[in-house]
Parts: sequence; structure tokens; C-alpha cells
Amino acid sequence: MKKKAFCMTLAFAMTVSMVGSTAVFAAEEDNVIKVGAVCAMTGGSAVYGEGAQNAIDMAVEEINDSDSAYKIEIVNGGKVADDAKDAKQAVNAYNSLMAEEPEAVVGSFFSAVTLPMAELAAEDDMLLLATGATNYKVTEIGPTIFRNCFIDPYQGKMAAQFANEQGYKTAAVIYAKDDDYSNGLKDAFVESAEELGIEVAYVGECTTTDTDFTAQATQAVGSGADFVFYPCFLDTVPLLVQQVRDAGFEGAIMGGDGWDGSDTTGLEDYFENCYFTNHYSSEDTAPAVQEFVSKYTEKYGAESLNACAALYYDAMYMLVQAAENGGGSDTESLVKGMTEMKFSGVAGDIYLDEKGDAIKPVVVNTYEDGSIKWLETLAPEA
Amino acid sequence: MSIFIQSIINGLNQGAIYALIALGYTMVYGILRMINFAHGDFIMVGAYTMFYTAPLMISYGMPAWMAVFLAIIACTVVGVLVERIAYKPVRNSGSMSALITALAMSLFLENLAMVLFGGNPKTVVKIFDLPMIEILGAKIQLKYLLTLGIGLAIMVALTLFVKMTKLGKAMRAVPQDRAAATIVGINVNKIITITFAIGSGLAAVAAMMYCSTYPRCTTDMGSMMGIKAFIAAVLGGIGIIPGAMLGGLIVGLIEIFVKIYIAPGWYEAITYGILIVVLLIKPSGILGKSVGEKV
Repeated sequence: MKKKAFCMTLAFAMTVSMVGSTAVFAAEEDNVIKVGAVCAMTGGSAVYGEGAQNAIDMAVEEINDSDSAYKIEIVNGGKVADDAKDAKQAVNAYNSLMAEEPEAVVGSFFSAVTLPMAELAAEDDMLLLATGATNYKVTEIGPTIFRNCFIDPYQGKMAAQFANEQGYKTAAVIYAKDDDYSNGLKDAFVESAEELGIEVAYVGECTTTDTDFTAQATQAVGSGADFVFYPCFLDTVPLLVQQVRDAGFEGAIMGGDGWDGSDTTGLEDYFENCYFTNHYSSEDTAPAVQEFVSKYTEKYGAESLNACAALYYDAMYMLVQAAENGGGSDTESLVKGMTEMKFSGVAGDIYLDEKGDAIKPVVVNTYEDGSIKWLETLAPEA
Repeated sequence: MSIFIQSIINGLNQGAIYALIALGYTMVYGILRMINFAHGDFIMVGAYTMFYTAPLMISYGMPAWMAVFLAIIACTVVGVLVERIAYKPVRNSGSMSALITALAMSLFLENLAMVLFGGNPKTVVKIFDLPMIEILGAKIQLKYLLTLGIGLAIMVALTLFVKMTKLGKAMRAVPQDRAAATIVGINVNKIITITFAIGSGLAAVAAMMYCSTYPRCTTDMGSMMGIKAFIAAVLGGIGIIPGAMLGGLIVGLIEIFVKIYIAPGWYEAITYGILIVVLLIKPSGILGKSVGEKV
């Protein structure tokens, strides 16, 4: 009996102390933005997570060493929480971060995992700054959801515009039916292509886990297309490119930012005449980009230096600017500061529109001997 | 028409890969009456060996496919180790223990690969540099025909080996009556080890063929292919060598043709559906003989 009473007293005391400390934290204006970060750290897209972690470490170190009025603290011990590119895991990652009461959450890179996180963030009135999630639905979920990348329809549209510019007349599309991103790009591409007078001769489905595309490749070639659009992710890109070329296709193959980081080792000649749209190019001559690229490469090597890294890097600076604009490091001020913000970063000049979407230029990359070469930058339409 | 011909070749190419993997399942099942669920992961071992050794081969001026010999060695070593360390101790504890041990080995190999090679998919260099030929307007990769040829050749060689050689005879004797086989002087442990060695070696060849069409290795590549090949083995009649080949080719063809003529999203459902139908009509598989359980 005595023991039980003791336990209860102890439990009560602990509860009180926890509640007490939380209250103190929320009231305090410490000029430190507590940020939770989410990205795919394991699985087929782990290279994105690696880039994100490095970029965040770099940005946070720079900001905290500078004389900026606001500092950043990454919760979860400075580690990016893992969503494993899986919607369920993303929800778990978000919830585990929320336990540490961040003032903003950054992530994730994929639309399919960001959508459920955005639902939760909207309920919690939490600021969510999505990085690579390009599905148009993400920012429609709530006023506290922003992103620093363009949206799917925009990328699909630009791909169609590019095809038209290059004089391609017949297009085939192979897309992953089980992926929001892929569906978004496909719809926008087909719509814009038809508007521009490009015939879409074949639309084929696959799934994100497929490795065999010989059936779709055969049909794409059989349709007489001279342009294949494959809006899927890097892990299957080498497979598709090889199989489409093996089926006798000689025209252009194009994808979206999901292609960034594709491994072309041993397939250099297959990747000739392939293109993809992206958020930024490391070959951009802008000083901000060059500074970022040289600093990153020096610290972590070039292998994980992809658009994902650039977007997470920018996200950290955007939060600092939002705190300056809004006049505080709490969530409410950050949201206020971020709404319709103009920001100039590594991934180009961004303007956040009233929906929270970024209006920015898109880069078209191609391959030369298996390595990515910047081709041109297509400006956003007025 | 050209799409049809091309699809047949595509299907046979994919089917030949499944068939070679299915041969590994069938060999082990034929001897031990045990389903080696880690077999799919032997392919993963083979594929990673190819990934690391094929560039070495090229740098020494040899063709990339020569790496398959190193892959065969690596797979055989892994296969025999798995058998000796994990399966042998539970061999007499019933089929359930063996099955669970096999599943555990599969997970163990996948996670070990994750630790050793990392989570990123690896792209394997070009294995065969063969031209494309045109038959009746269909563009056909010679390497696809080569895959099919290797698959058929291995099946014939294996059938002859089991039927004609003394070792093959011993292999057939072990499942019939293990005790009697021991009495007539067959070293059962040795036979089982040899079976695993052959099965794992075949997995390495399958890995090479897989990498020539699908140049990518991931740590979990074995599980899905393992399941497909297992279906192929059961469909053709598990324990029967030509059955594995037939089953593999059927599964490969079905997948490609469903993707083209029905709906791309349905190919797995239809493959599994056909397996269920075959098992209902003929539980021992297409080439299986309906014999009762041996006592």
C-alpha cells in the first residue's frame, strides 16, 4: 500500500513537471526555430535522404555560426526522420517528431508520403514546408502547407513544351499507376501535348516496383512514337531506358525531377538523347549555386549532391527568412512570414503564391557520356 | 504482328530466368522435400557479385560475362554455408522448422546485404554486347535468345546428369528412402550439399541473365523473383526438372501477354490465379505424376 502511494505520487510529480516544462517552452521566445525534418533515409531512394541530411547539417551549421537573429535546432537529435518513401512510415515519422514539439516541419521529398503528412499538419496547424512533393494537392490541404518546388502539372507541361520545341510529333507515355507523382505528371503532359499538337499515341501503365518493362516498351515503339515520357523515380529509370532502347527505340526519352541521381554506369550509350526537368542544376553559374556545390562537394563528395539536397538546404534558409518576415520563431509567425514570400536560393528565385506553391524556373538536363549536363532553363510562364 | 513476335521473345526471355531459378527450387525439393525460400536471395548474392566483378573483368580485358564464374563460386559458397549452418541442424525436426529456418535465412541474407552493400540500388554494367536482329519486322535482341538458349541447355544438361550419372542416381535414391540409401553406401549429407551447390550455381547463372535484361540489383530483388519462380516450379510440377522449365516459361509468357493484351496492372493477379486453377485441377502440377505421399 505504501509502495503504491509512493508510485502514484511520483507519477503525479512527473506529470506536473512535464506539463510545467512544456508550458515554459511554448511561452518562451528564444529565437531558435525548432525544426523537424523528414525524408526517405532507407530503401531505393535512400540517396535522397543522404543528400537531405548533409544539406541540412550544412545549412544549420552556417546559420548558427552566422550573425542571423534566428537560429535553427533540428529535433530528433539533429537527424532527419525516415519515411522510407512509405505513407504509413511518414505518418509515424511525423508523429514521432511532433512529440518533440517542433515549430516547423520540413519534408518530404515525395508526394505520396507528403500528402498524409500534410493532412496531419493541417489538423495540428503546423507549418509544413514540403521540399520535393510536386503533387498539386499538397498545398491545397491547408493554409500552413508550403513548398519550395514547382508542382506536377508544371513539370509535365514544361516537358510537353520541350518536346514541341525540339520538333517531336508523336509521344508515348509510360507511368506508374500506383504513384501520385507519376499520375500528376502524366495527366499534365498528355493535356499540354495535345494542346500543342503532339499526338499521344500510347499511354502505358506500370507500377513503382516493376522491373520488367519489355511489354510497354514494345508497344511504345509499335505506336510509332519518337518521344517517350517516363515520369517515374530514379531506381527504375536505368531499367526502363535500357529496355526501351533494347526494343529498338531511337527517339528521346524524358522524365521529371524523379530521374535525378539515376545510376547510368555501364549504360552511357543508352542514356544518349535522354532528358529530365529539374529544380536546379549544379552547373548553373549563379554564385549561390556554385558556392553551395563547392562547399557540399568538399564536405560530402558529389555522389549525394542532387536536387533534394538543394531543396532541403533552401528550406532551412526559407525558415530563417520567414521568421524575420513574421517577427518570431513560433509557428504562427513563421506561417505569417512565409505566406507570399519572395526568396532567392540555390534552387532559383522563388515566389510563393497565395496557395503556397513556388513559382520558379525549371531546368532541363540531358546526359553526356552518362553524366548529367545542363541543357537549358525554361522560364515560368506569365 | 511484330509486337506479337517481340512479346513472345520478351516472355520467353523473362520465362527462362524464372525457369532457372525454379530449377533451384525443384532440385532442393526433389531431394529434401523442403522449400528453400532463401533461394531467391542467392540470386541477389549472384547479382551483387556480378555488380562488383564485371567492371574488374572489363578492366582486365575480359568480356563482362566472365564474371558469372565468380558469381557461381560466390553463390555456391553461400548456398552450401546456408545448408550446413542453418538447414542441417533442423533437418530432422520436421518440415515446419525447415520452412521457418528458410524464411529466416531469406531475411537474414537480405539484411546482411543491406549492411554490406547499402540500401541504394546498384546498376550493373552491360553484360552482353550483342546486336539486334530483325525477324518479320520484329526487333529482337540477340541476348534474349541467348538467355533462352542457356536456360534450355542447362535444363537438358541437368536432366541428363540426374538420369545418366552415378551421382544423379544417388540424388534420385535419397528422397525415395534416406535410410536405405545410406545402407547401400550413399553419403546422404554429401548428396544434399551437392544439390545445394548445383541449385545455388544455377541461381548465379540466373542472376547473370537477369542483369543482362534488367541491369539493377537491390537487396530485396530475390524475394519477388523467388516467389515467381516458386510459382513456376509448382505450376510445372515441383521436383520435376522439365516441369520447372515449362512452368518458368509459362509464367514469363503470361506476364508479358497480360501486360499487352489485358491490363498491365493485372499480370500478377492473373499469374497467381492460373496457379490456383492448375492446383485445383492437377495438384501435382502440369507435369507432375499423381502419386500418393511416400511412406
